Amino acid sequence: MSKEQYESNILSSSYLENTRLQTMDNQIPMSQGRKREKAAEILARDGPNALTPPKSTPEIIKFLKQMVGGFSILLWVGALLCWIAFGIQVAQGVASAFDNLYLGVVLALVVILTGIFAYYQEAKSTNIMASFSKMIPQQALVIRDGEKREVSAEQLVVGDMVEIKGGDRIPADIRLIFAQGCKVDNSSLTGESEPQSRSCDFTHENPLETKNIAFYSTTCLEGTATGMVINTGDQTIIGRIASLASGVGNEKTPIAIEIEHFVHIVAGVAVSIGVLFFIIAVSMKYKVLDSIIFLIGIIVANVPEGLLATVTVSLSLTAKRMAKKNCLVKNLEAVETLGSTSIICSDKTGTLTQNRMTVAHLWFDDQIYSADTSEEQTTQSFDQSSQSWAALSKVVTLCNRAEFKPGQENVPIMKRVVVGDASETALLKFAEVILGDVMGIRKRNRKLAEIPFNSTNKFQLSIHETEDPNDKRFLMVMKGAPERILERCSTIMINGEEQPLDRERAEAFQTAYMELGGLGERVLGFCHLYLPEDEFPDTYPFDTDSMNFPTSNLCFVGLLSMIDPPRSTVPDAVSKCRSAGIKVIMVTGDHPITAKAIAKSVGIISANSETVEDIAKRLNVPVEQVNKEDARAAVINGMELKDMTTEQLDEILINHSEIVFARTSPQQKLIIVEGCQRQDAVVAVTGDGVNDSPALKKADIGIAMGIAGSDAAKNAADMILLDDNFASIVTGVEEGRLIFDNLKKTIAYTLTKNIAELCPFLIYIIASVPLPIGTITILFIDLGTDIIPSVALAYEKAESDIMNRRPRHKKKDRLVNEQLAVYSYLQIGIIQSIGAFLAYFTVYAEQGWLPNTLLGLRVNWEDDYYNDIEDSYGQEWTRYQRTYLQWTGYTAFFVSITIQQVADLIIRKTRRNSIFQQGLLRNKVIWVGIVSQIAIALILSYGLGSVTALNFTPLRVQYWFVAMPYAILIWVYDEIRKLFIRQYPGSWWDKNMYY
Amino acid sequence: MARGKAKEGDGNWKKFIWNSEKKEFLGRTGGSWFKILLFYLIFYGCLAGIFIGTIQVMLLTISEFEPKYQDRVAPPGLTVIPRVLKTEISFSIADAKSYQEYVAGLNKFLKDYDPDQQTSDMVFDNCAEKPEDYMNRGEFSNVQGQKKVCRFKRDWLENCSGILDPSYGYKDGKPCVVIKLNRVLGFKPKPPLNDSLPPEMMGKYNPYVLPVHCFAKKEEDVDKIGTIEYYGMAGYAGFPLQYYPYYGKLLQPKYLQPLLAVQFTNLTYDTEVRVECKVYGENIGYSDKDRFQGRFEVKFDIKSS
Repeated sequence: MSKEQYESNILSSSYLENTRLQTMDNQIPMSQGRKREKAAEILARDGPNALTPPKSTPEIIKFLKQMVGGFSILLWVGALLCWIAFGIQVAQGVASAFDNLYLGVVLALVVILTGIFAYYQEAKSTNIMASFSKMIPQQALVIRDGEKREVSAEQLVVGDMVEIKGGDRIPADIRLIFAQGCKVDNSSLTGESEPQSRSCDFTHENPLETKNIAFYSTTCLEGTATGMVINTGDQTIIGRIASLASGVGNEKTPIAIEIEHFVHIVAGVAVSIGVLFFIIAVSMKYKVLDSIIFLIGIIVANVPEGLLATVTVSLSLTAKRMAKKNCLVKNLEAVETLGSTSIICSDKTGTLTQNRMTVAHLWFDDQIYSADTSEEQTTQSFDQSSQSWAALSKVVTLCNRAEFKPGQENVPIMKRVVVGDASETALLKFAEVILGDVMGIRKRNRKLAEIPFNSTNKFQLSIHETEDPNDKRFLMVMKGAPERILERCSTIMINGEEQPLDRERAEAFQTAYMELGGLGERVLGFCHLYLPEDEFPDTYPFDTDSMNFPTSNLCFVGLLSMIDPPRSTVPDAVSKCRSAGIKVIMVTGDHPITAKAIAKSVGIISANSETVEDIAKRLNVPVEQVNKEDARAAVINGMELKDMTTEQLDEILINHSEIVFARTSPQQKLIIVEGCQRQDAVVAVTGDGVNDSPALKKADIGIAMGIAGSDAAKNAADMILLDDNFASIVTGVEEGRLIFDNLKKTIAYTLTKNIAELCPFLIYIIASVPLPIGTITILFIDLGTDIIPSVALAYEKAESDIMNRRPRHKKKDRLVNEQLAVYSYLQIGIIQSIGAFLAYFTVYAEQGWLPNTLLGLRVNWEDDYYNDIEDSYGQEWTRYQRTYLQWTGYTAFFVSITIQQVADLIIRKTRRNSIFQQGLLRNKVIWVGIVSQIAIALILSYGLGSVTALNFTPLRVQYWFVAMPYAILIWVYDEIRKLFIRQYPGSWWDKNMYY
Repeated sequence: MARGKAKEGDGNWKKFIWNSEKKEFLGRTGGSWFKILLFYLIFYGCLAGIFIGTIQVMLLTISEFEPKYQDRVAPPGLTVIPRVLKTEISFSIADAKSYQEYVAGLNKFLKDYDPDQQTSDMVFDNCAEKPEDYMNRGEFSNVQGQKKVCRFKRDWLENCSGILDPSYGYKDGKPCVVIKLNRVLGFKPKPPLNDSLPPEMMGKYNPYVLPVHCFAKKEEDVDKIGTIEYYGMAGYAGFPLQYYPYYGKLLQPKYLQPLLAVQFTNLTYDTEVRVECKVYGENIGYSDKDRFQGRFEVKFDIKSS
């Protein structure tokens, strides 16, 4: 979307119609306001003056979506087949028909319960958000029927006269009719942090630019104004932006795409094997009904019923962990999105920087000193022995109107609340850190007169008594724009001595000024003058209007420069991003020089890279002659961006690895985000203003600022940074990558046993052996023994430095790739199956049924009226005796899968490293998982073995160990696999075996 | 746009199956397929070897003469011959076809009991023709070769032997069934103590016979069931103990388990009559879940016309 489109979206003709920017509307007299009845009428027509909350999906739809998403459809089909089979069997009078009814009910319950669980999880994360949208009801002072009344802002209607004063939030879009010294903060709308003056003059065609309009939800900083409401509620600019944001479609998160992909794979396998064996069964002359029952078994065996719940739990565990690290995740899936992020478009102010002016450099005695700008400074370490510093510190302390709010003695200096503007606050804190008790110093040097800063003279001046009782002279201190200050000086202080300000000195000043200015810092000059005692006696009446005191031939003391310094954790975080292959793009409304300086100091532009302009300057050639590809860095001005075509923007994004966008408006952010997404990048965007919300929505992951962020931004974002700190994003990235790796492990673990559950059915159909494992038993593995272990894998630590590899490619690095599926299904899964079959054959053989007698036995075995089937020894078995043996077989098969899943769990801890490198005991939760797994199996076998419906039997102790050799085999084989992968990277083995 | 995309998708799909540029089939070249298939051949070969190996090891721990555990098969079931679907014997006296399958079932089962099957003295023992105590024949092993078995003469079943009446009484509406106790290796059924028997069975008590008794399952059927004739060895309604224990298929391939024939001579026709037969013994058990353990139930539905 271009800027024009964007604006035309917001400023549709209907907006302009209502606005009537120029014509004074005389129908409603200013002093009278609207008639109360008329207002009520309009209110009824237009609705309350409030933003309609974004349309949310009805809860029931959300719930139903959970019921049909993922594997649910397959399971519903399974349940339906069960009931069909039940119906047919009842009609045929089969004794065991009710088994199918129950199985169908169980399957339906599984779907419903996992659905409820997923719904609950989602609702829980939405609730976190609800707490953010607590709105304090806003009041507005409105004139109606000639009376001023406080009404709730919601009651305002078009045409109402409202009065606003400094500190108020503007209650609607209003056209000013009267204004006095009115300034508004439009930062939440336009991103410009400078206060803007408002008057009743119509200055521009564009409502966004004209001075006589104040916008809903912005704040009036100072002055007073009266205006007429021209738009309310959703018709306001903010309302339009909000609805625009909700219009930007919610893209599917990368992990949602991955899970869908994986569900497709598994469902594909389930359906194709199911259909294949249905055909095989029918062509093997099985009854259709039997074939349907086989189909149910195959579906149940193939679908990892518990997996999606496990994934949700794993994600929410990570979300919790991230919340502890100040990343609050709104949408669970966004947890992983952050991990696959390849470009971060970050704000500067507050995110990369501390969002407060801090003294960064000093210049006195012809020398530049650096000050500490970290968050928790308690001392300053530059050389403070010079007399010049003493003089400078005095000017800094005295020529300052900022004050600490009282009662903060125990608060660290940097955290104290100050009344005063940003630069004065910086100077106050700076002085307090070094000198201590600034307020005391000011008291001892009583202020006699003061001229505050204004934009015409560009200086601030005050006259004080000195604290030295023997010195009766007055001290005049002055600070202001350096060049203006210098003009007024004739001398300069060097090492405490006043020296004439000759040309050389002036040049030295210029150099220092340029240098500090080049760092993007705001520079202030300081000078003073001791007024001679004879001319200015004790009682001299200083008059600031007539300026009856000298304001020239002063003594220049020094320069101080200030900047909003980067947060101390940011440079490290940026370099981490860089090594993690994530491009960090700075998008700021600030001046390019400041932006570039901050970018350089945090490493977004690395120390040795140059922009096109830098190269031009170095080579002394025009900018056009520089080969753009030589420049790694680029600083793009918002004005340039405005005139760029999409192709040009793409070119910049491709050619430069270090990019800063300066002087950009928030809507340009959207253009930048779209540009990045065209490069197939997963883009994270930070933002706080209302106007950021479309970009936040458009981004793959929108990150709103928890402290500075507006509600609209928070609503549009997927994640909220509670401490507004860029470094928190990086820890989020790390967690996101880790969870992706761990989900791979979880899925690999879960898929493996599906083969061990599926093979029994296939063998049962083809070889007609008694059924090795029942459908109910399978559900007990999927939803019982396997759940805690697979969640435990989410606690696994990273195998190597995950922040040292590139972000995963959206389309190439899949969550479930061919290798993972093949290795789990065709290798470990097969080993597990034969291990379980060994247990099955052992149980039958030891009871009298040798393996060869079992083949082809199925039909007789399942004949309810065949009560004397001979086993290998000639013994005769009744139907129930056989069934009970079959259940013993189920239990043995189940126990064997469980035991081998323990081995599977251990091997899944790592994908490349040896288990011993990873440490067996580091992840304690894994052991909780193993213990739970075995405990559940013990309970099922020995505790619930007597409950007929569950088909478990108390198992002889030795059968628990039959599959043990295979468990060991799984572990040894996987160690060998990993060894080869480590030994021969890039080999055939590595390519085919590493998942 | 959408259509264009779909076409592109189709192209990718086809390309996936056969990529003519890279000569790839399903994403792999011929050489690659060869390697991967070879790998799986070896892999599964090894696995099959391991599996067969472990099965063999397991089988080594199992005796071929005696199963390791019998807890699932004992106490034994009681079976009725002919084997009937849904435990219902339903036929019409006038229609020979309607009971043909029962007769065939009995004929087939009793064939092994024909005198000409029991001629060899090598296999058959001359056991007493009256009930006696268990006949132990030593260890469960083939050190002494095969074990001998007792003869069981078909004509002991008298009217139900099929010799006198090839229709086993079915054509007269007096159906016979044959009852046997399921074979369980080494199992020695213990006759019940004298006083634990139903009073009507007290008369024919013999300490070496495991008695069987048939009765109406339901109270209201008591009158319809009529007289029941039992034909067994020496006229005892039960299984003589000298046939036990059974030594298994390998050691006693020709083993004949003792039989008991039961004839219902006066059943009420044209109505359902439910009969339960039960074997009594100290180590015979019954279970609610297993309705064929130590007893069975059969439903007669005889049509007079």
